[in-house]
Amino acid sequence: MTETGAQLFARLEARRCLIDIEPNLFPKDCGPQYGEVVELHGLEGTGKTELLYHLLCRCILPVEAGGMGVEVVFVDTDYSLDMLRLVTILENRLTAGRSTSRPEESYAECSEEAVLRSCLSRLLVVHCGSSSQLLLTLHYLETSLSSRPSLSLLLIDSISAFYWLDRCGGGESVARQEDKLTKCSEFLARLLRDYRITVFATSHAIKRNYKNVATSSWSSSSSCSEYEQPYLCRPWQRLVTHRLLCSRGTAGANMAATACTEKQSRRQVFTVCCNSFSSSSSSKEIKAHKNSSFYVTDGGVVFV
Amino acid sequence: MVVLREGMCPGLDENIVRDLRAANITTVEDLVASDTEELAQKCSLSYMALLAIRRVLLAQHTAFPVSGADLYEELLSSTAIVSTSVPSLDKLLDSGLYTGEITELSGGPGTGKSQVCFAAAVHTAHQLKQSVIYIDTTGGLSASRLLQMLQVQTDHVEEQMEALQRIRVFRVFDIFSLLGCLHTIRCGGLQQASLGGGSVKAVIVDSVSAIISPTLGGKQNEGMSLMMQVAGALKTIAKDFNVAVLVTNHVKRGAGGELQAGLGLSWSHVPRTRLLLERSKSPGPLLGSTRTATLVKSSRQPCHIKAEFDLNWVSGPEEGLLGRKRARDSSDS
Repeated sequence: MTETGAQLFARLEARRCLIDIEPNLFPKDCGPQYGEVVELHGLEGTGKTELLYHLLCRCILPVEAGGMGVEVVFVDTDYSLDMLRLVTILENRLTAGRSTSRPEESYAECSEEAVLRSCLSRLLVVHCGSSSQLLLTLHYLETSLSSRPSLSLLLIDSISAFYWLDRCGGGESVARQEDKLTKCSEFLARLLRDYRITVFATSHAIKRNYKNVATSSWSSSSSCSEYEQPYLCRPWQRLVTHRLLCSRGTAGANMAATACTEKQSRRQVFTVCCNSFSSSSSSKEIKAHKNSSFYVTDGGVVFV
Repeated sequence: MVVLREGMCPGLDENIVRDLRAANITTVEDLVASDTEELAQKCSLSYMALLAIRRVLLAQHTAFPVSGADLYEELLSSTAIVSTSVPSLDKLLDSGLYTGEITELSGGPGTGKSQVCFAAAVHTAHQLKQSVIYIDTTGGLSASRLLQMLQVQTDHVEEQMEALQRIRVFRVFDIFSLLGCLHTIRCGGLQQASLGGGSVKAVIVDSVSAIISPTLGGKQNEGMSLMMQVAGALKTIAKDFNVAVLVTNHVKRGAGGELQAGLGLSWSHVPRTRLLLERSKSPGPLLGSTRTATLVKSSRQPCHIKAEFDLNWVSGPEEGLLGRKRARDSSDS
């Protein structure tokens, strides 16, 4: 396929790097680079979705309100996108941004509604119902990527949605069971290389690693490590450069020290453990590591 | 997986399908994923024709991206909140069951799951004058109980009958009939059910675990796959037709002895909102009829808030004691 110089320029240069998307979350200087994949993994109710909304808001909010002003595609395979919740978070962020920004700044003049609308127009939502539809949709999204240079983030919630359906659909052979996700991963690898986007994907902890249970009974975090084993196909594992393990923290343990009001100390605290891998595909080694914790308010995620 | 057939799109005739098959291209995914230029050479087909076919097929089978602004607009105009008719539960659920999502009631036997389902069905049919699809998998739905609840609300026999007309009951006792039933609902059954007046606003499955749990277990994937198919069907019905889906689930004891919703880890991600129902520990003057509901999963409200409700309230406000209903904030974790 041929392309003009202008197209090449749009393809490679204009995209925003997301390395500083959330310094609280990623180790120093190890944020998601161009073409990297971040996986958020955790059990139900460990704050994955809230974290995803937080990152999504950070991307689509205008620069003046503390965002990055880039476009995002949200691939919703779980039918889980709660638009009302997302709008609540956006509104809270906008109000907070408005109160701190100087009045002469451009966006403060437009109405709140218009700013919100412009934020939301930077978001593209796709609902997928099967793994083959996911594959076809990724192919289809290629045209969106080449025509919209500010589109720099692809969110997939969740990449594990069709795991059981594919497992059963593929019959006895493991290769056929993983065929769809393998193809998706391979194509995604091409998109990452050609368009230098960043991918964030959630994966549900749905498989229990019984082997780990036996050996980790001595460790206090056994309940967490039981589920953190990656189970998706190899090509996907190779893509992942950052793995965020989400878990529910012990409530109030570290909040009490900071002398908060009673209500705050009763809040559920979530912990995230971020492992960044070196990108060499042959062997995965943990390059950097960071733990962080946050709690959830009406206005979204707040890091502690 | 979509197998290529002639006539699927303009230009895709018998010969092309045969040529493609010879080149090991049998499905739309194969065609889309292959290099068109190479394929054109290999099958000696016109590059332009192949490219056009690829483009049309891709457009036919892909999911279309929608702008977030449009989605929000649509959501604002179409989202409705269906009351469960139990005030304290509505308070926990941030005023009721939201259309477009799945709400789950989990609880042991006799914790009032079905009663809440009945009450929600009756309320929707009578007060909101909208239709309800009630999928009964345990044989636990009794029309006389519904009528009894209606009689409390109105004395007019005609109104009672009209309300009962709006509750469309499906009885299914295995997972395949459930999938079949959900499929018919998706392909037009919803409109058919709404003929009784009003559009369908709620789909109730009582209980989803009674049907799914027998298929699970062992080291086999089929049961898991069937369960996720049910989940997928319920989610698409909720989204595409904008109805509130209410399902009931059983509970089990976790490792620490705490109550958990049943059906395992994979299912735990499916409902957007989950309430855990329990018998109240300290029965009041109305012995044994008070139940405690705990919000264990929600994206709108802080989790682990509790509320008490009285099963007698479900039968009629006169019998229940309004003063006893209190929502208290507590975190048990």
